[in-house]
Amino acid sequence: MKQEIYRFNCFVENRPGVLARIVGLISGRGYNIQALNVGPTEDGTVSKMKIDVLCSDESVVEQIKHQLLNQVNVIEVTSRKR
Amino acid sequence: MRTGAQALVDSLVKAGTEVLFGYPGGAVLDIFNCLPESPMKFILGRHEQGCAHMADGYARATGRPGVCLVTSGPGATNVVTGLATANIDGVPMVVITGQVGLSLIGTDAFQEADTSGITRAITKHNFLVHSADEIPEIVAQAFYIATHGKPGPVVIDIPKNCQQALTAAEYPERVSLRAYHPEHAPNPNDLAKFARLVNEAKRPVIYAGGGVITSGAAADLAALARKAEIPVATTLMGLGSFDEHDNLSLRMAGMHGTAAANWAIHKADCIIALGVRFSDRVTGNIKLYAPEAKIIHVDCDPSSINKNVKVELGICADIKDVLTTVGSRIKRNTHPEWLAEIAKWKKSRPMSYKPMHEGVIMPQAVIEAVDKATHGEALVVTDVGQHQMWAAQYFRHNTPRNFLSSGGMGTMGFGIPAAIGAGLAQPGKKVVCFVGDGGAQMTFEEVVCAVEHKVPATFIIINNNCLGMVRQWQQLFYKQRYAGSILSVRGRLEMEHLEQDLDYDYLPDFMLLAKAHGAEAYRVIDPAKLDDTIAKAIDSGKTSVVEVIVEPRANVYPMIPGGKPVTEMIFE
Ligand SMILES: Cc1ncc(C[n+]2csc(CCOP(=O)(O)OP(=O)(O)O)c2C)c(N)n1
Ligand SMILES: [Mg+2]
Repeated sequence: MKQEIYRFNCFVENRPGVLARIVGLISGRGYNIQALNVGPTEDGTVSKMKIDVLCSDESVVEQIKHQLLNQVNVIEVTSRKR
Repeated sequence: MRTGAQALVDSLVKAGTEVLFGYPGGAVLDIFNCLPESPMKFILGRHEQGCAHMADGYARATGRPGVCLVTSGPGATNVVTGLATANIDGVPMVVITGQVGLSLIGTDAFQEADTSGITRAITKHNFLVHSADEIPEIVAQAFYIATHGKPGPVVIDIPKNCQQALTAAEYPERVSLRAYHPEHAPNPNDLAKFARLVNEAKRPVIYAGGGVITSGAAADLAALARKAEIPVATTLMGLGSFDEHDNLSLRMAGMHGTAAANWAIHKADCIIALGVRFSDRVTGNIKLYAPEAKIIHVDCDPSSINKNVKVELGICADIKDVLTTVGSRIKRNTHPEWLAEIAKWKKSRPMSYKPMHEGVIMPQAVIEAVDKATHGEALVVTDVGQHQMWAAQYFRHNTPRNFLSSGGMGTMGFGIPAAIGAGLAQPGKKVVCFVGDGGAQMTFEEVVCAVEHKVPATFIIINNNCLGMVRQWQQLFYKQRYAGSILSVRGRLEMEHLEQDLDYDYLPDFMLLAKAHGAEAYRVIDPAKLDDTIAKAIDSGKTSVVEVIVEPRANVYPMIPGGKPVTEMIFE
């Protein structure tokens, strides 16, 4: 199956355990993380995560987005094809 | 000022906790020390898994969160199965685990386990407390998260030093979570489309799941079904969301569902799916599922929509909200031809079974006996296996929260403790728990809690002398090679024989076991005594165990083998 890399930009609350939760959620569902970058934003209570994931189609992208948004510490998620 | 432990106990009470299930240990002694003065009723389970399932049963029976308190390390790891079971079925729970002191975390201290790490994937959320000051706020948030959106279990891991530290923090007036806003209002265009699809449908089916019960929407569902004359199938978790005595009921769909429910879904032109997940146990081969239907899917969890099946219309909102708003736009309607077709399926393939051996009780008859003895009013709890499917098939379910079963996880050992939790939650109800001879040996220790707290539950052990569901699959798909599934010594494969084999056939002796736990004990072998014994046990008003020796070769039918379409349903 042809797979393409999608970039998820996640704004999350800057708290212990949030990174592990997000990474665990994606990898635990069998998706492969290609690249991951976490950094601060101007608002010190919010971190930005850039996650590149191999996805087979748009419905997988939507699924990951909803799963991320379901997390209690995730504020916003956007995605685009890389 | 009060200690963190006191703040926790006060906060649990503020959050509405009336019953606390738990088991003590070094890392929670400060919390236990606050319990004698607390108004909460404390229930001491006999294994933390049991405590977790009791809290789960309490929650399923009421819709209110089940609350459970256990120690660090082995206490926490023992609740893991209970968390996973509640998580996948969307059951609200708050579980407090003790943790070693903050300064010891990461040092492999005595009874240290990474509870947040272990429970992350099997909870809706978890918290690790860093200071006593956080405790009231985190408790309030945990109850909010457990009960809003799709419900689920939340763990609060509290280091011992935070329990001992003093704090002035108060329980918050209201909960504000910056990032979590799970409530979605239905969009008017979607509601218009909902009504149009339903009004235009010639062969509509309502397909109702556990979400209908969680949302409290059973009455709205019935109103929709009657107004537009739409037959209703349910999932296992949806049993009780629609009265199965109703002519519009198709009863349960899925792998062991009725022929009528599965055929109706297969032939439908419109499926109104309410609070379901489209689990693989229900859809079978997903590519061939409901080939002619436009599917409307309403669920409070956005990630469940378009997850397993692609739908025509997905609405992420509360089911009750959707049904009450859309109600007036649904036309009063009839579908005589469709109902006539369905009536034919009901008639040609009813749920039925035949005796296999003279004088041997059929397991399905046990379920019917309970329905009869309780006039359909029992709160039925099941364990997992063949008996669970028979309980789903042969009891006429009619009331929400009166059928509790581990659907998503299929956790053996769930039934007995969940029934106790349900009995404590609903003191007036006749609680009947169906459990297999296999599953009964997983959590039997909890029967003492029922006896101690005078929970008049009846535990009916359907003893078929085997791990029946496993044996059935081996019979049908593994050439009758019964490896590891026969519980009696005599029936076992050669390779499983021990050097000095015992000659007992049925072990353990469930009568002795029941009596050792202080319960009333009954055993039935003779079909003629079945109804009376069951009625007597249920009406005794005491905790009772009824062991029914049943036909060991009975199978659960109909069956759609895993991954197959409806057309491959087998009946015997
Ligand atoms: C904890 C756990 N282990 C294993 C299984 C797999 N399993 C499913 S049904 C079943 C047999 C259950 O046997 P029993 O309790 O006697 O019920 P029966 O099927 O005979 O009615 C087993 C082993 C499970 N569901 N849960
Ligand atoms: Mg059995």
